[in-house]
Amino acid sequence: MSTTLTTSAPATCWACSTALGESPLLCVACGKVQPTTSLDYFHAFALARKLQIDLPGLEREFHRLSRRLHPDRFARATPQEQEWSLAATALLNDAYRTLRDPIARVEYLLKLEGLEIGEEHAGVNKRADRQPPADLLEEVFELNMQLEEMRMTQKMGESDPSLQRDLKSARTKFETLLSEVDNDLATQGRAWDEGDAATRPAAAKAMAALLDRRRYLRNLVRDVNQVLGA
Amino acid sequence: MAYSDKVLDHYNNPRNVGALDKSSDEVGTGLVGAPECGDVMRLQIRVNPETQVIEEAKFRTFGCGSAIASSSLATEWVKGKTVDEALGIKNTDIVKELALPPVKIHCSVLAEDAIRAAIGDWKKKNHVSEAVEVAVAAK
Ligand code: FES
Ligand SMILES: [Zn+2]
Repeated sequence: MSTTLTTSAPATCWACSTALGESPLLCVACGKVQPTTSLDYFHAFALARKLQIDLPGLEREFHRLSRRLHPDRFARATPQEQEWSLAATALLNDAYRTLRDPIARVEYLLKLEGLEIGEEHAGVNKRADRQPPADLLEEVFELNMQLEEMRMTQKMGESDPSLQRDLKSARTKFETLLSEVDNDLATQGRAWDEGDAATRPAAAKAMAALLDRRRYLRNLVRDVNQVLGA
Repeated sequence: MAYSDKVLDHYNNPRNVGALDKSSDEVGTGLVGAPECGDVMRLQIRVNPETQVIEEAKFRTFGCGSAIASSSLATEWVKGKTVDEALGIKNTDIVKELALPPVKIHCSVLAEDAIRAAIGDWKKKNHVSEAVEVAVAAK
């Protein structure tokens, strides 16, 4: 895997040749919008590919850049620049939505690093190794059965206090598991940020496994909340 | 997302929903999850010990429409096949039959995983796994 970790977007403004330091989307010297090809979300905000992010800073930067890149400001520019401002605005929105969400941020980083989360998961974690422990699967399955029973009961306008109690304690349990996973993700995220080429693959692999586990827990917590009326 | 007619048909009218007796020697149970989305599926088969033909299959899927359709179709397909024939069912066959879009491929993979897990469980219960490993090793 030779995904480069350093920022390597075109480093100068197409119009005035000033170095594009602060944001690759916009030239600080002449104010011209820049082409967005090959920019990833971290690049768009001139951030290093790291997981700990200053959120208030990200939000400020998002609003500042959004204003400056707004297509209205390019109404009299060349068609090429109008197109770029649209593309830059779209990229900025996607980048902001992804980076401000800690889970989406990790998923995106792993994807950039070549650990596909979706199909053709050819990364470090082989599909057969991605099955959760059998007891977690059993529990997830059982709870789903109970949820369905609860939905039926509710549909018939009845109530089942003992089932309700079971679901409530299951919710507490799975919420706890979910926050444990989130803590572990934060720990691995720090390991990634502070690591180097030698230690980062282990952190990435651990995060991919945590995300796999997290999806089951997240679904359950969501469904239990829905059935119990949050 | 627009589901194909075949997906809708299985989704609205799923075949073979239910459970088989997990403790029976003739029954193999596969419980699998899709790490991509957190959906879970249980597929069970009842195998005739004389002929090794799968005579009954049941499923329960907690997941998306494509996963429900894939498992419903899988139970239809395994029925009447021997366990070894059933192992030949590939997720790509399911994708083709149901016209699943690329983002739904993992739902069909889940069904293939469930078939394999159910057959694996049955083989383990009936001590037939060794024979297969020998056959593979002899190739
Ligand atoms: S979306 Fe996960 S199995 Fe279909
Ligand atoms: Zn410039």
